Amino acid sequence: MNAQKKRLSKSILTGLAAIILPFGVQASSDSPKNMHQLYEDNCASCHGSDHGGFIAPGLNADSLKGRSPTALRSLIMTGSFDTLMPPFYGRLSDDEIRGLVKHLQTTPKQANPTWTIDDIKASIKVYVKDESTLPAKPTYQINSMDDVIGVAARGKYGRGSGSKAVFINSVTHKQIGEIPTGTAAHIIDYNPANPRWAYVKTDTAEIFKVDLYSMQAVRSVKTGFNGPGLGVSRDGKYIMAGSYVPHNAVILDADTLEPLKTFELEGVDPDGKMVSSDSGMIIGTPFADIFAIALENAGQVWVVDLKEGFPVTKIEKVGRHLHDAFLSHGGSKLMVASYDDSIVTAIDLKDRKIIKKLEAGCVPHVGGGSVVEVDGRTLGFGTNFGDCDKMVVSVWDLDKMEVVKQVPVSGGTESPAAHANAPYVAVDIISKDRRARTIQLIDKKSLEVVKTLDVGGHAYFPEYSADGKFLYVSAGYSGDEVVVYDSTSLEKVASVAMESPAGIFSHGRVRYMTRGLSPDEMKGAK
Amino acid sequence: MKLTILSGLLILGAVQSVNAASIYAGEAKAAAVCSQCHGIRMPSADAPFPPLAGRDADYLKTALKQYRDKTRKSDIMNAIAGSLSDDDISNVAMYYAKLKP
Repeated sequence: MNAQKKRLSKSILTGLAAIILPFGVQASSDSPKNMHQLYEDNCASCHGSDHGGFIAPGLNADSLKGRSPTALRSLIMTGSFDTLMPPFYGRLSDDEIRGLVKHLQTTPKQANPTWTIDDIKASIKVYVKDESTLPAKPTYQINSMDDVIGVAARGKYGRGSGSKAVFINSVTHKQIGEIPTGTAAHIIDYNPANPRWAYVKTDTAEIFKVDLYSMQAVRSVKTGFNGPGLGVSRDGKYIMAGSYVPHNAVILDADTLEPLKTFELEGVDPDGKMVSSDSGMIIGTPFADIFAIALENAGQVWVVDLKEGFPVTKIEKVGRHLHDAFLSHGGSKLMVASYDDSIVTAIDLKDRKIIKKLEAGCVPHVGGGSVVEVDGRTLGFGTNFGDCDKMVVSVWDLDKMEVVKQVPVSGGTESPAAHANAPYVAVDIISKDRRARTIQLIDKKSLEVVKTLDVGGHAYFPEYSADGKFLYVSAGYSGDEVVVYDSTSLEKVASVAMESPAGIFSHGRVRYMTRGLSPDEMKGAK
Repeated sequence: MKLTILSGLLILGAVQSVNAASIYAGEAKAAAVCSQCHGIRMPSADAPFPPLAGRDADYLKTALKQYRDKTRKSDIMNAIAGSLSDDDISNVAMYYAKLKP
């Protein structure tokens, strides 16, 4: 199948090359400045404002060295199959595409641009001036705000009218509202202290403060150029955002979105080299008034105390190229994924030191992670991209901090979902062929795959409804729908249409902290 | 007699499995080729491409064949339809025609 697709794509490309070549018109006379704007307006949200890559590869003189301009032009026209890269045919003229290819092949990766606390402050937009005019309760029928489930719809082009945060009632599976975000929505976080507020972050690092009661954005702020990192403090007073471009993080007032302090992300990596670093995950915890932030390239986790001056405790040598993380044990333990050494590092947030490094498959990407309590054990589930021979989901005993099992699955995985009331842990298979349409379900007790669901599209980011009765999955890329299953019978019960849905975020997460735990576990911690 | 019935059944079975396979094949081909621009149910709100779901199967077949033999001109569609066999065209047309937009 994969080989067939590759052949097919190749034959289309060759066909296109054949029809493009005869045009043979001279390259566009557009200036580099215009081409830079074209790049910013069409490419930068995924490929990085600095041309260095973000969720898609870097596009610069170095990374595109030796690539055929004709092949690149065809790729831009048709898009890339099995990825988020859309076809720009009909959106950009042939001259613009030619100009872009030339521009990209001659432009080096740009220096880390500046985006200061003043830039952040100046970027605040206020859509609702007087928040006291907002309704006191939801303007739609819903039993509990926990039942709200948010979907980050990227939009086919990563921007435009398809890019929005879509909110669904996870009891009725009907859409209750949507917030246009301009560029691809990436992360949705909820305020633990006040159920009406949600925060939506885009790939271009804007944060929208959303009133879920009236389903509208009340404010927004631009915290950088690219980067999905976002966390909310347990008291709901602060949010913290981190960027890939530039290499910084900022703590904002959760109410006004005013920036309070910025942090330059740099440090000595595990190999002793001083590096400037992308921001990885940022997490607030019910355990304490702190934020934890992963410095991807520096391999450090910083713990920021939410008090005068926001002092930082640095935990070094956590791993090589950190990415995402999840919490356990009332939020006192943090499990951090490290790409390059294929481990998950357990950190004690109380003592602020490393507990242990655990084996985690190949290139672990834990998504939001999952923690379930089975037969007196606390089990953590970790997904990984699986770019190696053994394709497994790791299961760890988080009390003893040891590997329990490496569960064989059919491919690489990106995000596990679990719920205290649901029998299965769902993982998304992301290997780039027909397997990408599927979700596999691991039985919590036997720790074996018991079922494979064919969802369609590029199926990813499973999430349970707050009551655990339904499993939501994004049929992303060209699937263009969110599919809902009964979590026990695994029968399909509903579908909600939207463009390129990706991450799914249940409001219930603020009550159970990490997916799979029951809200009681959190009460016990306090 | 028995043999006739048996072979009749076999043919029926074969026909049915061909039908089932062609929609499956159409789905795979649509996912790999068409949906990149046209989407499955709908193209992107911002895309310059027409929707295909729920369109008449014969219309889709005719259009694809015209694109393939270049009696209908479109740079990109002439190239893409050029990569499709008669079977591909039937399968894809049947798949999209059966989808609800």
